[in-house]
Amino acid sequence: MTTEFSRRDFLKTSAAGAGFLLTFRIAGPNGGLDASAAGAWEPNVAFTIDPSGIVTVHITKAEMGQGVGTALAQIVAEELEADWKDVRIDYPTSDPKYGLMITGGSWSVNWTFDALSRAGAGARQLLVQAAAKSMGVDPAECVAENSHVRHLPTGRNLSYGDIVSKGLVSATLSDEELKKIQLKKPSEYKIVGRWIQRLDIPEKTNGRAKYGIDRFLPGMVYAKVAYPPVRTGCTHKGVDDSAAKQVKGYIRTVVTDDLVAVVADSYENAVKARDALKVTWDLGPNANVSTESIMKTYGDKAKNDTSAPSWVDVGDVNEAFKRAIKVHEAAYWTDYVGHAPMEPMNCVARFQDGVFDFFSGSQFQTRVMGDLSKKFGVDATKIRVHQQYLGGGFGRRLEPDVILEAGIIAKEVGKPVKLIRSREEDVKLDFYRSCTLQLVKGGLDSAGAVIAWQNALVAAYPSDRYGGTDKQGRDQFSLNGSDHYYDIPNQFVRAIRGETGMEVGYVRAVAPNYTFFAVETFVDELAHLAGVDPLSFRLQMLGGAPRLAGVLKLVADKAGWDRRGSLPKGVGLGIAGVTAQEKASPTWTATVLQARVDSSTGHVKVEKIWCAVDCGLVINPDGVRNQMEGSLLFGMSNALKERATVKNGAIVQSNFHDYQVLRMNEIPDEVNVYVTESREFPTGVGEPGVTTILPALSNAIFAASGARVRTSPYTPDRVMEAIRKA
Amino acid sequence: MATLTINGTSHTVDVAPDTPLLWVIREHLQLTGTKFGCGQALCGACTVHLDGNAIRSCQTPVSQATGKRITTIEGLSPEGKHPLQVAWIAEQVPQCGYCQSGQIMQAAALLAKTPHPTDEQIVQAMQGNICRCATYLRIKRAIKRAAQGV
Repeated sequence: MTTEFSRRDFLKTSAAGAGFLLTFRIAGPNGGLDASAAGAWEPNVAFTIDPSGIVTVHITKAEMGQGVGTALAQIVAEELEADWKDVRIDYPTSDPKYGLMITGGSWSVNWTFDALSRAGAGARQLLVQAAAKSMGVDPAECVAENSHVRHLPTGRNLSYGDIVSKGLVSATLSDEELKKIQLKKPSEYKIVGRWIQRLDIPEKTNGRAKYGIDRFLPGMVYAKVAYPPVRTGCTHKGVDDSAAKQVKGYIRTVVTDDLVAVVADSYENAVKARDALKVTWDLGPNANVSTESIMKTYGDKAKNDTSAPSWVDVGDVNEAFKRAIKVHEAAYWTDYVGHAPMEPMNCVARFQDGVFDFFSGSQFQTRVMGDLSKKFGVDATKIRVHQQYLGGGFGRRLEPDVILEAGIIAKEVGKPVKLIRSREEDVKLDFYRSCTLQLVKGGLDSAGAVIAWQNALVAAYPSDRYGGTDKQGRDQFSLNGSDHYYDIPNQFVRAIRGETGMEVGYVRAVAPNYTFFAVETFVDELAHLAGVDPLSFRLQMLGGAPRLAGVLKLVADKAGWDRRGSLPKGVGLGIAGVTAQEKASPTWTATVLQARVDSSTGHVKVEKIWCAVDCGLVINPDGVRNQMEGSLLFGMSNALKERATVKNGAIVQSNFHDYQVLRMNEIPDEVNVYVTESREFPTGVGEPGVTTILPALSNAIFAASGARVRTSPYTPDRVMEAIRKA
Repeated sequence: MATLTINGTSHTVDVAPDTPLLWVIREHLQLTGTKFGCGQALCGACTVHLDGNAIRSCQTPVSQATGKRITTIEGLSPEGKHPLQVAWIAEQVPQCGYCQSGQIMQAAALLAKTPHPTDEQIVQAMQGNICRCATYLRIKRAIKRAAQGV
């Protein structure tokens, strides 16, 4: 396998472009734990203990529904031996001292578990030493528990609040000392692994939770941008704002190289004034781009672009195909899929005294700081992102586009500006998951074993936009998952960049959505070709991935895989196992899905879902469950409904009537989630569930109807077409 | 000028009569629990009560709301202890949380008229409210829990 280009390389590469230092660092700026005698104690950048003993964990990951704040606080509290009732969380403003600020990839727990554990443990050690010294006893005779240090022989104790308020902690620990600390064994955990209610939920039931859209600044005005009619490469060449000026509440027009906007005293007046602008556009080179033109390009590239680099190159695939007794080929297509977060993109921005303040929910503050410091020619420390709750992220809020616009306008206007996109603008200006084509070919030997596997994978590369592709021009975020775990001796995956003239981005679970769609559907097809049960067929090839085999067996058992022959006509079970999000931090996930197909209409009803997940050590069991439930249904929404199309260089759809997402009347009767007990290093659960659905459902549709649907989403017309071909 | 009674308090705002009630509530009066989602009554994030009925404030001109009793999520229960809010926490419903004010207001109007709804009645009442995080399983459970008074 040739996937040596790691995510960290990617992040370094993109950060270098942004002119910004990236290291994940949990210790203070001097490489040790800083103590301060007065007031609150900040043993490190991860948390603070105040004189009343309240522990505030600073969550530098975006809270977009995944419950990350509670989980990370549990990790700190565990090793700190804090009483959970003393624990609070906050979401600090961006600062270089926090290192890389990005939330995505189901990385948060995986990346921070060790560092946060050590931060908690290091502070606990210092608290014990300080308390022992104060009591005049041997620290070896003291234990930390429930936010207290207790001297075992005498029972004397000091609370963390007392230790801090008396200024007793003054020692520091170096990075080396932190690394040497003996962390707890999982069997000793009291807070990690416990069902704890999420700290962010109460204020999400009473209207008090603040999202970016809920912020106000004194003297704030409202901006609306006149967006170009073509998504990329379209520029303004003339602006007539005479009618806009007549609108009540109009303040001014802003025209820069980047944008045309109006500013008014209210949102509704800004809309009216913007709608009254007359802008003439140079439509640029992409004005004729359409879904059809993109698909034609992709089809040509998949067949003919033999100069594109490989992503997987094992054995000799050409020789193996010559030996194969049976050869099968299939083409898998996926359409543009969007993020469609419920909170439309927005930002409140202020430029004052050389400093930009942005109030917005961001998944990638480091990129905002890097991109905007370059754009405005200021030091990155002058770009401050005041983090808010995210009304849905799914990768959309990795993009700094709306923050940049708000910054440009605020700088021009000299007043705080609130910029809110409408839903229509949000749909038109989303960074969609690229439409994709995978031409897959497999060969079986006389024993029915897969000896050859080939995939020509065409996808647009979101990382192209900021130099995130590797030396060979490959974007791992468009390819992950095509490097599956099956023991196939000869494999070749070609990585073909599919330029589109549209913007593409990272949508929840990213490439594994389509790569596992092809891998897990094609494996199913080969199983049927070999005449072997699709589960057994998979297990035969998973000797190198016992944890994936484990969840496949578990979910098959729970779903009653063996009863699939006795289901009513038109009902079928499909199975799929994945290792999303990426090989460096795989969460082993397998799903069985029961679908009913109406062969007269092509309508597909998902009746039941069973999903088994092995994410290593579980931090918050209900948090895992909630993410799995939501991600499975998100996958259903992708698989059955979501389809954006392109015409004249722009997205055709505009709101939830034509870009439809899953609603309550469409959910299955049952969603059963099984979380394995594991002490392996933890991985993430925000995304993997999504990626099981496309293949599990296509396999279930086949089992129910005999029809192979190889184009997603599986709309009734496509299912009918597949039924006719079957 | 429009005078509105929201959560029992009278407010006078200087807006055009065609201004959507949503923007008056959210931006002029800064009662931000009510959310903007689609502006076309397609998603339900902006749901409030008008004389006890669940309505989409993004498609309701402020002129239609004057003289009526408007209730937002902030006014559903002074302590945030409406049975649905309690159930929402017990079932750990929200993920991102953005749609949940609208979900709760929609469900509250349902329970006010139908204290013990069937599954079908719940789906019928709630299918206009989108949750992109897809917390639908828990929303259903929480409504049933609230209806059962546990």
